Amino acid sequence: MAHCERASKPLLQCLRNTYTRGLPAIQLSARGFHSTAAVGEAQPDSQPFHKSPDPELVSSPRLERRLMRQGTTPVGSRRRRAALQGSANLPFEQLPYQCFQEARQVLLADRAEKLEEIEKMRQRIARVEALSPEEAGGKNSQKSRVHAMQQHLEHLKIHADINDPLVKRKFEDGQGDMSKPIYRFLADRKWREYRRKILVQRITQMNVVPDVLPHCEPTVDTKLYFNYRQVQPGDFVEAKNSISAPKLDVQLFERGEKLVTIAVVDSDVPNVEVDSFDYKTHYLAVNVPISAVNTKVDLSQLSAESQVVLPWLPPVAQKGSPYHRLSVFIMEQKDSQPLDYAAVKAKETDRDNTLLRTLQARYHLKAIGAHLFRTQWDETTLEVMKQIGFNEADVELRRKKVEPLPYKRRNPSSFR
Amino acid sequence: MRSLSPALASLANVFRIPMSLTPARPTVSRVCHETLARRSSPPLGPITAAMQSAPFSSTSSMAKRKSGGPNVDKRITLIRYFLYHPLTPRPLRFSRNRYLRHWTIHRAWQLFQAKQRSAHELELERQYQAMQSACEELRVGAGDGGRLFRKSMIKKGIFTDMFPIEYGRMQTEYPAGEGWNHDWKRPERR
Repeated sequence: MAHCERASKPLLQCLRNTYTRGLPAIQLSARGFHSTAAVGEAQPDSQPFHKSPDPELVSSPRLERRLMRQGTTPVGSRRRRAALQGSANLPFEQLPYQCFQEARQVLLADRAEKLEEIEKMRQRIARVEALSPEEAGGKNSQKSRVHAMQQHLEHLKIHADINDPLVKRKFEDGQGDMSKPIYRFLADRKWREYRRKILVQRITQMNVVPDVLPHCEPTVDTKLYFNYRQVQPGDFVEAKNSISAPKLDVQLFERGEKLVTIAVVDSDVPNVEVDSFDYKTHYLAVNVPISAVNTKVDLSQLSAESQVVLPWLPPVAQKGSPYHRLSVFIMEQKDSQPLDYAAVKAKETDRDNTLLRTLQARYHLKAIGAHLFRTQWDETTLEVMKQIGFNEADVELRRKKVEPLPYKRRNPSSFR
Repeated sequence: MRSLSPALASLANVFRIPMSLTPARPTVSRVCHETLARRSSPPLGPITAAMQSAPFSSTSSMAKRKSGGPNVDKRITLIRYFLYHPLTPRPLRFSRNRYLRHWTIHRAWQLFQAKQRSAHELELERQYQAMQSACEELRVGAGDGGRLFRKSMIKKGIFTDMFPIEYGRMQTEYPAGEGWNHDWKRPERR
């Protein structure tokens, strides 16, 4: 007998006794939920436990070792497994706690009510939509009425499921199904609580928002990966890591599919002649489909014939230049209509003189997501510059020496 | 043990801490008072303080350390003292299932209360509408050109000279202990 079995034995005995004495009906009905028999019982139709140990319940080291040799690892800790051997293994929603069960009844009744309301709302929407505009009192009022009713319907859908503990548990485990409105709502709320705030703070504090685009109100959660490693918004990325195009994880929180344009813009290219900074487009792709379930976008895997307008150019910062902000913008195309790839490709060939503002106005784009990373001179930049044929690799930028002001007597006679 | 509050005494009993050996935890107010009083000495001026602590220093006055000694917030000291005192009970921790059960019950209770509130509001609204429609009926349907309605709407003498007797005390769920005040006389009108 292992330690933990000995340790948990009195507790288990106590539990077993209370179960059998207090809740005989549940104990009897609970037999149905066992995926496996308890250890002590002999199964008449199959092998005894020590012949085919269950990875959920095995607790003796010898049986564990045998299981591992067979290739299955035991589930959870040994203490947990030992405790599970004697439990009734009830599913969560049938746990015999009176107040909990009463609460579940209340919540279930409310859910049934909400489902009825949803059904009613759907019928009402169908009725209003079936009316001709004259009957409904004008086309605009009909449209706004239908829109308001649809919003109410979405609210109802969320309210029907938001009180379900199993939904909450599934979402916390990260197993939520993003095609369902409730999980999308929960994910959106979680994103807005922390990560969106960070993102908005970074893009405003580093002045990406007025520099690159006049406004950006992020509504999609964007994650950026270089070499399978996530980059937090505003992080410095080594030059050798950003040789290959990043991967994006764009989580949409709305229903349906959207076509987006993805642009990566460097807004800090030093321009020595005019003593200022220029823009450079490092990547541009159009007609990228994203949806709530289809979130992964690998910028290097997009098709070169129909999506990528400007392929990935690794960002480098010259020695001595201040850090470069590289902002990634996810921009929704108008009405999710595909842009004409050939026309865009023919027009946007110049990386240096295309402003993102111009693109936004030209193709009616709307920024729905943003991300930001920075790059600066480091040990690997020189190699990358040589690889991509950067022509000013051996130039180091220096600050101009400021000429001191001419000497002025501090205490002239006019002060007296 | 007079220095312990009844709650702490019962806690000590639960945790089998013998009362005679209990480290007498001083009351919150006393400790706060003492700790806060400790910094009561009047702050010295910058020049005298510098003269007392260091007769000579080569550091320029702009580069000097901003405060003398470690910067300790007394409130944080007090919070830490009471938070980690052995008689403070451990924080309430739930296992995952237990927390979910708790959450379920909480949500159900909130839902129940919200429903009660909305039902109450609806009932009030219904009553108001009924009253209003009755008034309208009186105004339009009584056949006297709304005279009765106008008469009934005159609020002269209501809440202006005297309070109604039922508002003389706070409205309560149950009648008062002494019942009816038989000696009450209507006050003289001035």
